[in-house]
Amino acid sequence: MLTFEPDETLAHRLDPRTKLAVQIGFAATALAHTTPRALLVLSALTAIALVAANVSLRRTLVAYRFALLILALAPLIAGVAFGPPWIDRSDAVASGLASYRVLLILLVSAAYVRSTPIRDSRAAIQRTIPGKPGQILGVGVGLVFRFLPVLRSDLRTIREAMAARLGTERGAVDRAGTVAVLGLTRAFNRADRLSLALQARCFAWNPTLPPLSFSRADYPVLAFAVVLALSTFY
Amino acid sequence: MATERNAVDPVADNVVRQFARAAMLAALMGASVVVSIPIPLSPAPITLQVLFVFLAGLVLGPVWGPISVLLYLVTGGAGAPVFAGMNGGMGVLIGQTAGYLWSYPVVAALIGLIVHRGTALRDLRRVRLPILVGALLVGTVVIYAMGTAYMAWLLEMAAWEAITAGALPFIPGELLKVAAAVAIVRSGQITPVRS
Repeated sequence: MLTFEPDETLAHRLDPRTKLAVQIGFAATALAHTTPRALLVLSALTAIALVAANVSLRRTLVAYRFALLILALAPLIAGVAFGPPWIDRSDAVASGLASYRVLLILLVSAAYVRSTPIRDSRAAIQRTIPGKPGQILGVGVGLVFRFLPVLRSDLRTIREAMAARLGTERGAVDRAGTVAVLGLTRAFNRADRLSLALQARCFAWNPTLPPLSFSRADYPVLAFAVVLALSTFY
Repeated sequence: MATERNAVDPVADNVVRQFARAAMLAALMGASVVVSIPIPLSPAPITLQVLFVFLAGLVLGPVWGPISVLLYLVTGGAGAPVFAGMNGGMGVLIGQTAGYLWSYPVVAALIGLIVHRGTALRDLRRVRLPILVGALLVGTVVIYAMGTAYMAWLLEMAAWEAITAGALPFIPGELLKVAAAVAIVRSGQITPVRS
């Protein structure tokens, strides 16, 4: 599982907005270029991002194993042709290069995930997106992240209770329905208590945000992100 | 230390309540990645995310339903492990399954609009069965259309290749989810909350 890990790397010291800009620039240029030469340059950049955030390549690949399965199958499926010679190499190679760039995009985002706590992403969202949409998204992300473990344990309780009553012997529709209804009921009970708590604490459209500031290291990286984004068009 | 001096602009009570429900449903969607129910005759087990996307449209309606799904996507993009395989990060929102993920808010809005016929929420028990089933099937079609189209474009596959890899193995599970959603609504155990 990929999550934030406290560390002292360069990536951890950067402002989250800088890192988001790099990701967007990288993804934009990777989606526009699939030549082997471009992919070589992008691979080098990915390697730099992984080193800058001290990401373990092996652990990241294990975490993304299901995604990798589809990426590995895509060129095989694309290469199948009906009729002799049954395999179309150019189609398979084109799809393989396209799959590889997706892997690079996933790896770069893994560097972001490891180096950025959710509260920083939240602050970045709330500062960057203006007005009420930014507030809704920012506060919402904070709440969803906070309640994720709580609701996960709710679901575990529900499933254990079902298993104890031989619920696992029932049909899939019944099981899915029971988990969904009970999960939703519990979640909405929590929502009612949460909204009361928010109102009691004067929940406002203009709250005080955690501080964020660009450091000296941010400016060159930010400039690089702009260059990456512009390279999409060349 | 800098201080900010401006008047507090409190959020209206009904907005707070709907917002809290949207956030909790988004968290539930994220928590549900750990639940997978095996079904016979299919290689892909059911996960409950799509069922909660359906319920977001049905219970929260065409406005707060999509907001709830959007919160789920943004939280995942920020790095919380809420996507399939307990992954997070912006790469997943761009990667090969991104088409499915971005179709969820569209589908929640669509189902909400069809079932509630507008932004005012109706009692779900009064919705006629064909409309309910039709809305859920339309939603399922939109999810797979957007998902496979994006996958085909991103991985440079032909349309039928993307459909073989990205839609056919999951159809039995999807039909079961539609059945589960219909059963939930028909049982009257959930009601849309208007304020």
